[in-house]
Amino acid sequence: MDLEYWELLTGEAIEEEEEEVTYRDIWVVAEAEDGALTPTSLEMVGKAREMATALGAYVQAVLLGEDLEGLAQELIQRGADSVYLADDPRLAEYHLETYAQVLSDLFQEQKPEIILFGATELGQELTPRLAQRLGIGLLSDCLDLSIDEIERVLVAKHPVYGGEYFHVSNFLGAKPQIATVRPGAFRLPFADEYRTGEVEQVAVDLEGVEGKVKVLSVSVEEAQPEVPLPKARVIVAGGRGVGDAEGFALVEELAESLGGQAAGSRGAMDEGWIEEERLVGLGGATVKPDLYIACGIPGDVHHYFAMQESKFVVAINKDPNAPIFKIADVGIVGDPKEVIPPLLAELRAL
Amino acid sequence: MRVIVPIKQILDPAGFTVHRRLERVFINQENYIINPNDKNALETALRLKDAHGAEVIALSLGESRVDDALREALAMGADQAFLLTGEAFAEADAAVAALILGQAIEKIGDYDLILTGQRALDTGASQIGPRLAEYLGLPQALGVRAVSGLDNGKLRAKRNWKEGYAEVEVGLPALLSIAPQANAPRYPHGARIMNAYREWEVTTWDLADLGLTEEELSPLIGLKRKAFPPERTLGELITGAPDEAARELAQLLKEIQ
Repeated sequence: MDLEYWELLTGEAIEEEEEEVTYRDIWVVAEAEDGALTPTSLEMVGKAREMATALGAYVQAVLLGEDLEGLAQELIQRGADSVYLADDPRLAEYHLETYAQVLSDLFQEQKPEIILFGATELGQELTPRLAQRLGIGLLSDCLDLSIDEIERVLVAKHPVYGGEYFHVSNFLGAKPQIATVRPGAFRLPFADEYRTGEVEQVAVDLEGVEGKVKVLSVSVEEAQPEVPLPKARVIVAGGRGVGDAEGFALVEELAESLGGQAAGSRGAMDEGWIEEERLVGLGGATVKPDLYIACGIPGDVHHYFAMQESKFVVAINKDPNAPIFKIADVGIVGDPKEVIPPLLAELRAL
Repeated sequence: MRVIVPIKQILDPAGFTVHRRLERVFINQENYIINPNDKNALETALRLKDAHGAEVIALSLGESRVDDALREALAMGADQAFLLTGEAFAEADAAVAALILGQAIEKIGDYDLILTGQRALDTGASQIGPRLAEYLGLPQALGVRAVSGLDNGKLRAKRNWKEGYAEVEVGLPALLSIAPQANAPRYPHGARIMNAYREWEVTTWDLADLGLTEEELSPLIGLKRKAFPPERTLGELITGAPDEAARELAQLLKEIQ
């Protein structure tokens, strides 16, 4: 109804509503490494595209660094409607202070409804600071995202207790809503070569802002173990149940014959058979190999948290009631010291 | 030198079991522990105390049971402990917790270093450290595995970075989050545990002490429900003599590789 007419009818003036700020669009903060976009960046664009349809929104990607021009098109082909480039020599090297400044300026101006980052070093550094600066909520390391279309809020599934189970959490209204996304959580979207989009330049104002943490040197990990446990495809782990150092040597031999890494439980570390960098469990590595063979490990909850994402689990243990059997794909009730030697012989024969 | 270590008390995972098929968490024994990674932060602080005579202050947020976590920190070697408690704090999410801890840290004041764990085991989040750094306007280094030098108001640290680590230098005051592999936290002596309960005090601050109002503490994130991974069950049990079992397993391994 016409407001002036309403005022005439009732004699009361309707207060003009305060202009509400509209937060719109899904923004993806992409990352490049060695001159190429990271797979996670593209996975996020794909997921954002899906959610954008539910929201009736656009997907905007933003990239910070130097000489980025060549990367914009791929983001568009994978689903971004526009790409914002903060292309500046001062952003060539990552510094928390400069990156946070550029992004918070951009987000305060553009008012995104949702912002996605990869759950990478960069994402873990920047997102809590941005969230605190903007007074908004953040969900980290999300494995799934969806839109609650009734409340129009972001809903995210994220692991708790090391992935023992999940929380499905929702934002309570404050915008923008920020989430970091676990690398590999979403599928790589199809690259549509015919897709077109805008490429915009972000005005970079870093007056009086500089990095406060000086990086003196960057080192790639000395290879110990050769493949770090979290990346190993095959792990053979031993626990107290292998009996003694000789028994543990069998575990190492089995690992070698399968082209995998030897590891151990807390019990093996307490016995002095392994150093900390080969520990699977609390205080050690969380692993997700294709094949995990647990020899003489009863499998307490800390061990379980650390290896539960393994694709195929074999357990060899004397005690038929050991908890490890509840989660193993294949179990052998027996003494590892009696089972491993014939197993090694069989593997060599095959 | 004053080092402040915010710690979190969490439900001990050894005291509950997750039933994937029933999609429920069964609490067998309601035990609470200090978030294991926060103990690495505490240990880092205590080593600075041993080496440089730093004053170590532990603080935590939550119900009155959190008192135990702070007494454990005192028993490990902390000099002072603060419990930030109140009904309004019960529902604190990361943003609210950072606000409360930030206010408390400003009230304690005169700090050189804030050390946190890198990640909370219960929520899997790694927000509190950097949120606090933002609130207090401090530089940060996350995932620190060793403090390698300290002089002239500057600190050197080795932090995890991408496929390896970076050696960084930062001016104090600063915030570091400590990686789980940084150290093995010490066990307190029995006598210190007794003293922690009998002799030493935990200072309690509530909302009013921190100059906060309840309106400031409204959460930004809500929990909708829990979700569970598909059930893991025993696939197949190979029985028989070791030789036969080994043969069967070898065949199987060949098939899946």
